[in-house]
This record gives sequence, C-alpha cells and structure tokens, in this order.
Amino acid sequence: MKVLVVDDEPQIRRALRIPLEAKGYEVSTVGTGEEGVVAVAEQQPDLVLLDLGLPDVDGTEVIRRIRGFSDVPVIILSVRDAQSDKVSALDAGADDYVTKPFAMEELLARARAALRRAGPDEPPQPTLSYDRLEIDLARRLVTLDGEQLHLTPTEYALLEALVSNPGKLLTHQWLLRRVWGQGYGTETTYLRTYVRALRRKLGDDASSPELIVTEPGVGYRWVGESR
Amino acid sequence: MAAENPSPISRVTLRAIGIGILATMTAAVLAAAVSQLSTNPQSGAALAAAEVAIFMLGVTVAAVSGGLWAGVVSALLASVVYPIVESEGHSFHVDFEQPQQLIASVVFLAIAVVVGLLVGNAADERNRATRREREARLLANLSGKMLSGDVPERVMDEFVQVLLEPLGLATCQIAVTLDGQEIEAKAARTGLAPGGPTEVIPIVVSSVPLGTLIAERPAGRRPLTRDERLLLEAATRQAAVALDRARLDARARLAQLDAETNQLRAAMFSSVTHDLRTPLASIKAGVTSLLDLGTRHDDAQVRELLTTILEETDRLNRLVGNILDLARIRAGALIPKRVPTAVDEVAEAVVARMRPRLAGLAVDLQLANDLPEVPADPVQVDQVLTNLLENAARHSPRGGTLRIHIGRADGAVRVRVADEGPGIKREEREKVFEAFYRGRESPESPGSGLGLAIARAIVLAHGGRIWIEETTGGGTAMMVDLPLEWSAEETAL
Repeated sequence: MKVLVVDDEPQIRRALRIPLEAKGYEVSTVGTGEEGVVAVAEQQPDLVLLDLGLPDVDGTEVIRRIRGFSDVPVIILSVRDAQSDKVSALDAGADDYVTKPFAMEELLARARAALRRAGPDEPPQPTLSYDRLEIDLARRLVTLDGEQLHLTPTEYALLEALVSNPGKLLTHQWLLRRVWGQGYGTETTYLRTYVRALRRKLGDDASSPELIVTEPGVGYRWVGESR
Repeated sequence: MAAENPSPISRVTLRAIGIGILATMTAAVLAAAVSQLSTNPQSGAALAAAEVAIFMLGVTVAAVSGGLWAGVVSALLASVVYPIVESEGHSFHVDFEQPQQLIASVVFLAIAVVVGLLVGNAADERNRATRREREARLLANLSGKMLSGDVPERVMDEFVQVLLEPLGLATCQIAVTLDGQEIEAKAARTGLAPGGPTEVIPIVVSSVPLGTLIAERPAGRRPLTRDERLLLEAATRQAAVALDRARLDARARLAQLDAETNQLRAAMFSSVTHDLRTPLASIKAGVTSLLDLGTRHDDAQVRELLTTILEETDRLNRLVGNILDLARIRAGALIPKRVPTAVDEVAEAVVARMRPRLAGLAVDLQLANDLPEVPADPVQVDQVLTNLLENAARHSPRGGTLRIHIGRADGAVRVRVADEGPGIKREEREKVFEAFYRGRESPESPGSGLGLAIARAIVLAHGGRIWIEETTGGGTAMMVDLPLEWSAEETAL
C-alpha cells in the first residue's frame, strides 16, 4: 500500500512517515500542491494525506485536479478553524478529514477505512450485521434486537447511504443529493429531522453515538462496525 | 427698538401715527359730544376746560399706548382739531394768534413729549431687561449643555442650534480641530434665506486657536447689534472652555485605558507564560527520560510517561486554541460565518467528543423537541459549549452531575449548563467573564481563565447574551441565549 503525504511542514512529514512505515505502508512525501498532483499521476498511490494550508495551491483546488484523473482516497489534514474550507474540500471530492493536532491512531483508523472502501469491490454483502442491528440490503429489511423496524422510504434511503460508506464523512450536501435528489443541497433541516428520527428508531444516542456521529456544520459519519 | 423691516417707514412708525390719529379723533368726538351737552353760554369756560381736558387725555392715551411719536401726532392733530371743536357754535376759524389756542397746542405737545419719552424709556428699560434675562438664560442653558460631559460633537451640535433663535441667525456653524480631530457642527433655521451680514468669531483656548464660529444673519437683514455681538462672543468663550474640557477628558480617558491595557497585558504575559511552560515542561521531561537509553523503564512506566505527554499535548493545544481565539477577538476578527445551526445537534456532538474528559461525571443532556435552528457559526457555537462544559467540569465535585438543557426562550434558543460546584458569589459573576480571571476559590485551577471570556465574546458577536444563575443546589448555571433572528446591522462586539 502506497501513501502520499502532501504537507509543507517537514516535521509533519517526518512525524507521519515513521509511524506509517512502521505499519507497513510505503510512504512518499512532497511539500507543495503542484508536486502533489504530479506525484498522484506518476506514483499512483493508494491513499493521499493532504494538508489544506499549502503555500502554492489551495487544497480544494488540488483535490479538484486530482479528481480530474484519479479516484484515489484523499484524507485532508486541517486546523480547527478552517471549517468552511473542510466542507468545500469534502464537496470537491475529499473522502475525510482529521484536525491537527491529531492522534496517530485516529488517522490510521481513517486511513484504513478509506483504503477498505476504495479496495477491490468485495462481493456486495446482502446483509450487514452490527451489535444489535441487522440490515438486509436485498430485501430492505432492518431489525433491531431481532425486531423489525418500520422505516419510511426516506429513512431507509438515508440509512442505506450511510451504511454503504462506513467511516466516511458524508457532507450535508452529498446526503441531500443522494437521498432527496440533485435539486437539493441546502435543506439541512430536512436532513437533521430524518437523522434524528433514524437515530431514535435505531436506538443510537447522539451524545454517545455508536452508529451515527455528527460533525456539526459538516455532515454525518457511520461508525457502526459490521461483524 | 430693533426694526426688522428694512423699509424706511417702519411698521412701528405707521402704528404710532395710526394710534395718534385715532386717539385725537376719539377725543374730538367726545369733546363735541360734551359741548352739545350744555347750551348754556354761561358755562362756556367750564365747557372749554372740559374739552381741553378730553384732548389732553387723548394725547396722553396716545403717548402711553403708542409711544413718543403717537403722542406727537396726536398733539399736533389736537392743536388743529381743538379750535374747531372749541369754537363750535361761536366762530368757525382756526387762529393760532389766539393765545388760548396757542397755549393749548403747546400744552398738548408738551404732554405728548413728556409722556411719550417716559413711556419710551420704560419700554426701552423693559426691553433691555427682557434681553438681559434672555441672554442670561441662553448662557446658562449653554453652559449646562457644555458641561454635560457629552461627546464634543454632540455638544457643538447643540451649541449652534441653541444660538440660532435668540440671535435671529439664518445659519450658525462651528469648525474646530481638537487633538488632530476635526469637529464641525452646523445649524440653519428653516424658512430664513442665509446670505445676510456675517460674524466670524475665533475660538481660542489658552491663546491657542482651535477654530472659528460663523454666525450668519438672514439675507437683507441688519447686522447684529453691539449687545448681540457681545452675547455671541460670550457664548463662544463658553464653547471654547467646553471644548478644552472635552479634550482634557479624552486625554485622561486614553491614559486610563492605556493603564488598563498595560495591566491586562502584564496579566496575560504572566498567565500565558506560566500556562504554556507548564505542559511543555512535562512533555520535555517525559520525552527526555524516554530517550535516556541509560535508564531502563518497565512497560508500565513507559506507558505512564507517554500518557502524561499525550495529556499535556492536549492541554497545550486547548490553550493555544484559546489564546488564538482571544487574539482574534482582540483584533476584531471574530466574525461569525452564519449558517442555520441546530444548537442541540452541536451540543450532542460536543458531549460525545468530550466524554473522555468528562469521565467521573454524570452528564444529563435534555433537549427540547422541535428546536428551531439559529443563524450562527457552528464552529463558534461548538467553542462556546465546549468552554462552558470544560468550566462546569472543572468546578464540579467528583461524581457530580452536569446538567445541560437546551430549550426555547423568547426569540432565542436557550442553553443552560449547570454544575454542582460551589457556585459563584454574586459580586464575582460579571468578573468571571473577564480574560485571565480565576475564581478566588480556585486561583490555581488548571483553566487558563480564557474560556468564559471567549464564550462571552462569541455569544455577543452573535447578538446573544450570556449570564450566570444559581442552581437550587447552590451550584452555577451558565445561561446563553442565541437569537433566532439576526439582522446585518447588528455589529459584532
């Protein structure tokens, strides 16, 4: 597995390379956005870790250029305050973000999830099993503790969108378009109402979530670990 | 008397002539009526005396009510009319050679002049008194306004406005330079065309010229009288004194602000130095002992050192975040990027994220149903809730409960974060929102003293309010209202 680190700070590059290599990844590093786009084309990495605050090209622009020729998963590294930058980077095609300073285990977990999603298509799972929850995607049946849940078509579509992108941060805009259609994108109230209803039916507590995590102002992430 | 009308025959003169004529004619009619009362020729002398008395009365009335000129007109007319009336039934010719008639005319004129002059003097005296009173009132009024401690701009606005009417000005303006700042005020009376005689009076304080006052009379009117000009100068001197005072006040305020800023800066430096160095010291100590290959640590020791390093890194990160936020607030760069934000959702996410740090405390999160979204910056709302929770956790006893309630208030979404700590004394409640303030109970608490100051700055930038209430158990409840409506005119901070 090849990982490309794009960050202008040499210390960060070193701090990322050592633990990633220790985990068995092959790591290359560059310091500018231009070099980053070229490196993606030439080295064809399996994962890109991209700093949003690059000196030459805006991080969102880097993602857009990469997306012009590659579907490689991109995880953004950003500081806390650049919330709107994060959203636009995610909407431009980034897969996830971690906030600096981050714990290495968190970054590794995000990296694994991104690589898993991008990995060779596993035969589609007809059913997904979690601790108490089971989802039969073929028959569109959802059961909690063995009892069948009655979900509205919208709730089911929302659940399906979430579980088919495990670990990925899905932006409000992406979810609205996926569930409600292309004409939607800003109606976050709808989305919030349905997420709340879905959480209630799934028995998930937003203040100690085990299935759906809220990223305020950005979107939602499915964190349920399927067995 | 000041004549406002520019025409040579003023209205006042016309009025005097009118009164003179009217008074004498009335006297003539009365005298004629009296002469008809008796046909007895023996009573001629008494009758003549009565007629003279009636004419004298007429002249006196004219002089009293119309002044000197009305009396003179009345007297002259009476000199002509009296012989006609007097000779009625005797002879019909006017003859000033007749001593009786000549004496009568002289007496009439003398009465007219004496009474007219007396009345005129009294009237002049009255006018002068009225004017002096008006001037005194004007000056008192001005000095009241000048010393009100208002900003110089507003004081000058009032000043020029107050002068307009008493001095009959069309426009009045003032232009001064105060500590490099230019202040201008101008007032004009509606319905009066400017362009008349203009007075320019310098404004001087301790022989330093500050500017000028320009008073303009309406077009075509006479210039200010000497008295009016003196009044204007007196008023201008008052304005100069007021401006000087304002200048000194501003300097004093600036000096005080400077002192406060310096004090705050000193507090900030000592606090930040201490707070930044402490975690750095722990980290460096941990790392150097791990790097010291000469010493062997067992797994548990290594783990403990690493845990310390991790915790101190997090603490340092929070502190740096707070200092950056504060710097942003100070620089006036705390501008919320408003999007429809569900405060309840943010609260859930904050609680979820803070679970590890809230270990040992129970969290009771109550969210009202169907809470509306507020126009707010979700990152900043997150920051407010995080800071309130950190503060509450820090002051909670072990095993205590944090109660977070989010509901609706009048035109706002209301957040209440209550702890079971020792509470905050009433007199300290405002102070806890000041940067670098630490409660007396816990002067060495691990907080930086910035969290609540930042929370307040953010809430205010959102047009909301933050305050402290007491819980029934004596703990502290931090209250925040975030308004549902937001208009662009509301300025941040």
